[in-house]
Amino acid sequence: MGLREDIERFREVGEERREDLAEFIQYGDLGSGRPDDIQIPVKIVSLPGFEYDRRDQGGVGQGQGGTPDVGQPVGRPQPQPGDEDGDGEEAGEDGGEHEYYQMDPEEFAQELDDALGLELEPKGKRVIEEKEGPYTDLTRSGPDSTLDFERMFKEGLKRKLTMDFDEEFLRELCKVDGITAREAFEYARGQNLPVSMAWIEETHREVADERGAWPSIEAVEESVERETVQQKIRREGLKHVPFRREDERYRYPEIIEEREKNVVVVNIRDVSGSMREKKRELVERTFTPLDWYLTGKYDNAEFVYIAHDADAWQVEREDFFGIRSGGGTKISSAYELAAELLEEYPWSDWNRYVFAAGDSENSSNDTEERVIPLMEEIDANLHAYVETQPSGNAINATHAEELERYFGTDADDVAIAYVNSEDDVTDAIYEILSTEGETNE
Amino acid sequence: MSESDRFKKQAIAADLEEPVSEARNLAEKLGLEPYAVNYWIVDYDEMNELIAYGGFQNRYPHWRWGMAYDRQQKQGQYSGGKAFEIVNNDNPSHAFLQESNTVADQKAVITHVEAHADFFANNEWFGLFTQGRSDEQVDAAAMLERHARAIGEYMADPEIDRAEVEKWIDHALCLEDNIDQHRVFTRRLETDSSDRDLDEDLSAKLDELGLSEEVKAEVFDDEWLEQMDEDDAPASFPDEPERDLLAFVREHGKRYDEAAGKAVEMEPWQRDVLDMMRAEAYYFAAQKMTKVMNEGWAAYWESAMMADEGFAGRDEYLDYADHMAKVLASPGLNPYSLGKQLWEYIENTVNRREVIEHLLRIEGVSWRNLTDVVDFEEVLGHLESPAAVDAITSETLDALEEVPEEWVDREALEAAHAGEVDVDRYPWKVLTYEGLARRHYSLAKRQNRGFLSRVSQNELERIGRYLFDDARYSSIEEALADVDFTAGWTRMYDVRESHNDVTFLDGFLTQEFITENDYFTYEYSQASGQFHVSSVEAADVKKKLLLQFTNFGKPTIVVTDGNYDNANELLLAHQYNGVMLDLRKAGETLERVFELWGRPVNLLTIVKELDEHDIEVARRRNREPEPEERGKLIRYDGEELTIEDVPWEAVEHLAADDVDYDTKPEEWLA
Repeated sequence: MGLREDIERFREVGEERREDLAEFIQYGDLGSGRPDDIQIPVKIVSLPGFEYDRRDQGGVGQGQGGTPDVGQPVGRPQPQPGDEDGDGEEAGEDGGEHEYYQMDPEEFAQELDDALGLELEPKGKRVIEEKEGPYTDLTRSGPDSTLDFERMFKEGLKRKLTMDFDEEFLRELCKVDGITAREAFEYARGQNLPVSMAWIEETHREVADERGAWPSIEAVEESVERETVQQKIRREGLKHVPFRREDERYRYPEIIEEREKNVVVVNIRDVSGSMREKKRELVERTFTPLDWYLTGKYDNAEFVYIAHDADAWQVEREDFFGIRSGGGTKISSAYELAAELLEEYPWSDWNRYVFAAGDSENSSNDTEERVIPLMEEIDANLHAYVETQPSGNAINATHAEELERYFGTDADDVAIAYVNSEDDVTDAIYEILSTEGETNE
Repeated sequence: MSESDRFKKQAIAADLEEPVSEARNLAEKLGLEPYAVNYWIVDYDEMNELIAYGGFQNRYPHWRWGMAYDRQQKQGQYSGGKAFEIVNNDNPSHAFLQESNTVADQKAVITHVEAHADFFANNEWFGLFTQGRSDEQVDAAAMLERHARAIGEYMADPEIDRAEVEKWIDHALCLEDNIDQHRVFTRRLETDSSDRDLDEDLSAKLDELGLSEEVKAEVFDDEWLEQMDEDDAPASFPDEPERDLLAFVREHGKRYDEAAGKAVEMEPWQRDVLDMMRAEAYYFAAQKMTKVMNEGWAAYWESAMMADEGFAGRDEYLDYADHMAKVLASPGLNPYSLGKQLWEYIENTVNRREVIEHLLRIEGVSWRNLTDVVDFEEVLGHLESPAAVDAITSETLDALEEVPEEWVDREALEAAHAGEVDVDRYPWKVLTYEGLARRHYSLAKRQNRGFLSRVSQNELERIGRYLFDDARYSSIEEALADVDFTAGWTRMYDVRESHNDVTFLDGFLTQEFITENDYFTYEYSQASGQFHVSSVEAADVKKKLLLQFTNFGKPTIVVTDGNYDNANELLLAHQYNGVMLDLRKAGETLERVFELWGRPVNLLTIVKELDEHDIEVARRRNREPEPEERGKLIRYDGEELTIEDVPWEAVEHLAADDVDYDTKPEEWLA
């Protein structure tokens, strides 16, 4: 008995109930979840009970600064005082009316993979150059702070070692009786001393008075102690290392080719007069989980919402599922807009999904003459069309049919799904998400 | 609890000793009669735990508490919200103070709690659970602890599957609102059909015969008993529709035995669990039925004590005001602000009526001319609390000699003169209930100064027509001298005794109140697919609001037949008030009820149907489609949930049309 045990049991019970994900997608209240914060009501938590139909019940609200006009739409119903579960709680602030299991999109995607047996592997696309590895590569120019001084010192030292020579010894050498500059130079080169002819000549001139101090080169070799460069450095210390511009190297980071998994999802919805409430809701039920899923699968997901009747326009997510308009339907208008908007998301850098939904009604010949060419033209991992016809097929509603006829049923970048009731939603989602071919790119 | 922790709590407790005892003194002076309250200092985690467990330390093991705790914690994390108070309905009540609260918060909680404890003790709906012996017999903590122990033992019993117990509790919880909350709680359902007793008798007699189990099983098995039962049983029972579903299934239900593939008697532990769940449902029902009143009541007195009576020190007042503003400002219709406003409204209207009645007795004043001939500024001047009671300090005590005798607590005044009462800190000590009523008189408060003059002609006429003793006073001053300044409070005390949220809202939610607060109703439009404002009429708002409070805001479901179809099936009926059921949830609930009945269960209801075509047509014409009401029978037989049409005659008796909850106007979307 006790708190720990009750929490433990709650977790277990919650786990069990999350099997109901599919059911939630079909019937649950999706509205409270945004792509970055998915709230799934944990079903067991709201044990069933005899309740009123929420819509039929209506409710009472309080105007913010004035009484609203009759007929004015109200957003989400406000929490009602009767909603809360009394149970003797006198806690100041009561919770909301439902219990939610919060999921992040990654978890949602994982759960949906498990629930539907999906295996969608997102592709990394855009190379993110900012992704810096260790500073292991070198270049000849760069900011001072990245100058590889150690390397430059070593190079300078090496140069010094090769260029330096035992000046004392050569000076004595020049004093040998009757020696010419040329003879001294040749001797030095014969000893592999890196001395220049100019230096010998100059020194030779300087010691002209002392010439004859040594009878022969052999006498110099015997009497003058020769000192190697290393010995000289040790004796004098390293007074000077010849730094040269050509030795300068700047470190710069190694570029690790990190590919970010970017996705842009275009949601297109027919909002024309024929799109009744039921159809609208079915579209929302299908699109919302798709959005969540792709958000969870990709590092970076962006969404574009396009509403259309005979014309198309871009809308915000909040408005997307609610919009109603009159007018006819021209689906190609939406694809034209999509093509335009997708220019910001180059195919080389972005995974693209283009989902459209409607009741398959379209202006005559629009599907064949405009939509299909546009679908072929717009590069995308997947094009999908979701047809929703809750009350049976209308005669002229042939958009989905035409697409299917053209692209075939097993195309790997075009999916057609039919959602005529809540029961079809998960099948449609499966159909769409399992269609994407492995061969892309 | 660690030593230092204990020490800290003791220190806080010591600091709060004076506020606790003075709050009680003040509450009693103001007329409250609370249960004794034991205060406990708890830390943040303990507070969350208490809230999760409904204010009690020992509840039966169940995941729902774990869930509530989880939620409580997350809420704290995300919103930074802190739990302020929790008090349980018990005698004595137990209230919990969070150690991290500021002193101002603690004081606010204490005054709030005192008012709750008064409400628990005096509201009649709380008396239903204790069968009217409200004062001594609540014993809630003991009962809940007993339940906790019993269920804990069942779960630990190796013979009983723990998960089964939990599931059984879940089933019962689905029906926790399906009780007869307006009836006095009795442990057992009184069945009016005597054959049930016969059955019991028969079993008892068999027991008395002392037959061995074997013989009983051979000869007088359950089936035999059942047969006896069926032979005598009337075609259907109960005689009257039964609202207490929990009691009904407890008395007549069985359980479905998967292995045997049939209904068998419940295990003793199962009946016991049902009894316990039912008792708890009844215990908590009063709180659910009086949420708005109770919270409003507590908020009202908290404010009277904290703000008006300066119970918060001057330095604490800002903290307090901040806290109060947050509580009252939570969005939607929150019970604190709705309730508080309604109580203030009651106080103001009763006080206004009292004043108007006196003004109408002035020579030459009638309900027709009152607003013209009476100078309201002058009236308000007379209604101001006299300085002698308004600003009391140790310096002004002598002024109290001038005020009416009944306002002054003589004994306390003597003590104050003698320096035994700290009058500067607790000025209210030298006043009586009457004196405090004068000091807190609502119509003289700044925020209510317009209230008197806003009296409508209608109300004047209503008061004027029923007034006796016309023409007694010659001036405003003379008339007002006779006003009973306790009228508002007296009425409030009456209301807190006899009302619940439904009658409270019904009685006191007025046009004036609704308009002033911009309330409106909304309805769902099938044509547009969303909710729209449907009415701003007070009558409509009230109707809609009452729908949310009547019967816990749930549809009324009754048992109409425990032997449906002469096959021992259960027939429930939804008493349709024009708002249909959530059919999905109804189906899910029926599946639970099946577990408690063991045999097929049925529910008769009325639904509104529309087809897509009607909606289409209506939308084109810019109007709302007219749904058709149809009778349905929802049935769960243990395997399959079915919904079938039934002829209208079968459900006609369920349709009540005394109140139309639909507030949609004729042409609201045009």
